[in-house]
Amino acid sequence: MSPEPRRLHRAGILVYALATLREAAIPLLAVFLVGGLGGGFDERALLRAVAFTVAGAVFAAAAGYVRWRTTTWWVSEEGIHRRSGLVSIKETDVPLGRIQSLDVEQGPLQRAFAVYSLHVQTGGGGAKGEIVLEALARADVERLRELAGARRSPVAAPGPERRLGRRGLLVAALTAGQLGVLLPVLAAAGQLGQSLFDERRGSEAVGLLPDAASEWALAAAVLLAVAWLLSMLGSVVAFAGFRVRRESDRLRIRRGLLARREATVPVVRVRAVEVVEGVLRRPLGLAALRMEVIGHADEAAPAKTLFPLLAVRDVRAFLDELLPELADDLDRLEPPPRRALRRYLVPPVVLAAVVGAPLWAFAGAGPWPLAVALAAGAGYGVLQFRAAGWRLEDGRLATRAMRVARITVLAPASRRESHSIGQTPLQRRGDLADLEVEFGKQTSARVRHLDAATAAALWERIAT
Amino acid sequence: MSAEPSRTLAPSARWVWRAEQALTWGVLVAIAAVASFQLDGALAVLARVLPIAGLLACVAVVPVLRWRNWRWEVHPQAIDIRHGTLTVRRTLIPVVRVQHVETSRDVLERSLGLATVKIHTAAGSHEIPLLRAADAGEVRDRIADLAPAADEP
Repeated sequence: MSPEPRRLHRAGILVYALATLREAAIPLLAVFLVGGLGGGFDERALLRAVAFTVAGAVFAAAAGYVRWRTTTWWVSEEGIHRRSGLVSIKETDVPLGRIQSLDVEQGPLQRAFAVYSLHVQTGGGGAKGEIVLEALARADVERLRELAGARRSPVAAPGPERRLGRRGLLVAALTAGQLGVLLPVLAAAGQLGQSLFDERRGSEAVGLLPDAASEWALAAAVLLAVAWLLSMLGSVVAFAGFRVRRESDRLRIRRGLLARREATVPVVRVRAVEVVEGVLRRPLGLAALRMEVIGHADEAAPAKTLFPLLAVRDVRAFLDELLPELADDLDRLEPPPRRALRRYLVPPVVLAAVVGAPLWAFAGAGPWPLAVALAAGAGYGVLQFRAAGWRLEDGRLATRAMRVARITVLAPASRRESHSIGQTPLQRRGDLADLEVEFGKQTSARVRHLDAATAAALWERIAT
Repeated sequence: MSAEPSRTLAPSARWVWRAEQALTWGVLVAIAAVASFQLDGALAVLARVLPIAGLLACVAVVPVLRWRNWRWEVHPQAIDIRHGTLTVRRTLIPVVRVQHVETSRDVLERSLGLATVKIHTAAGSHEIPLLRAADAGEVRDRIADLAPAADEP
């Protein structure tokens, strides 16, 4: 690759033109509204509007051309360089040794021209690369990859690979239904119902209630369906064409329907793997694999997906093949002592009582809602207790806990960021303690209510 | 490593916490006192007495407990922190994981010759508050000395 400055692919003109339009969208819109439609809606106004639109397009095209014309990049012995700007010139240099990964992204426009947007990541944080080359041909991307990779591993032999098939994508989308999306919707619906109820007091409200209740149920069902559909669409867009491949010391992950993204993750930066068994997936024996990658904390959730959908029994084989550094079994976890069950039961049951009791006392709903709430609280506590567990073997830590989804964290203890042992006054009385091992901003392996001596021993074993 | 950390915060930390507690509880007492005029009977008395009791308890007891439980130590391999008023928590941060250390001194701390040290890792930050200024400098320098020796991605 020649050290002379070169321009991006010609498609860059369009990419920049569109970017200019996007950046100028709001002021343009204001001009358009004030100038174009200021004097009513007649023929002249229409003409003016057309004129403004054409002017805008011409301006964007010109700006796109200028930006493309003034943007150059080159590769030298020292590293990758990018220089851009007409008036104020910005030059960025990234030494080859500093490059953590070269990620590519392909929006619809880039795909139409078979070019790629290349992000040069140095691990300095931030989702965007330190250098972004908006339009590069495939051959240039490959050559850059070779150059950057040559420093570490001379041969990046394509290793094992896993793809998400069409059926997998469909199942992943169907079971993605995240309760997190629904909760605010339900809360809003509840508030609405409450205010309706308050406005119509007495007999009127009672007369209206069955009618209104059915309407609420309908509205809730519609909202639920919409939320479900949205989460399905989101999953399809994010995970279509998902492919993960091991290439010597890094993982290469490709995904996305509209904007195709390809990310390279150095294995040393993967601190932990999370096996997430969502509410809808757990009965089917399915899970998603997430990973905690240091320096990628600001990325959106799909970027941290190692694989969107996998049978739980295949997780070990999958990890052995693609990420043996973190592979571990999901079973044979040590549970908390039996006496800890009470600790798991008390908080949800108390919460259920706090919610249920006023319903009985004031709303005249009878004892049934309270009984149901208490049973649900107790059931939830038991589930949490049964989910909790840990194992530390050969320096590999596995912990499991459940909040909504059941999450098992697998990681070598040496990849931790810190670890703590904590004891509340109640736990001191019951001779119990919590253990928490932090692996990153989003991943913390926490097991509650272990036997205090066991937790202390575990804390010591992790420390050494 | 299994020995509990032994170093303490500055003794005057207790006075900072007392002032903090007095301020928050003072606001609560004032709000409750105003609100108590809307109530009557036993509730009004309760609204006036309870926050004052809370104020006295928290100003007298919490800072002492917290100070007694606060322990820290910088080992060659790790930073050891134990703290908590009622819930006691002991945390170990490997020195190799420290990204940077931040020392801050607000007005109150400066007037008392204290400083707060914040240790940042990729997962978050850990604080050792209200140290003697000399101790804070020592923590910062020791971690700076130890960290580059064990550079690792």
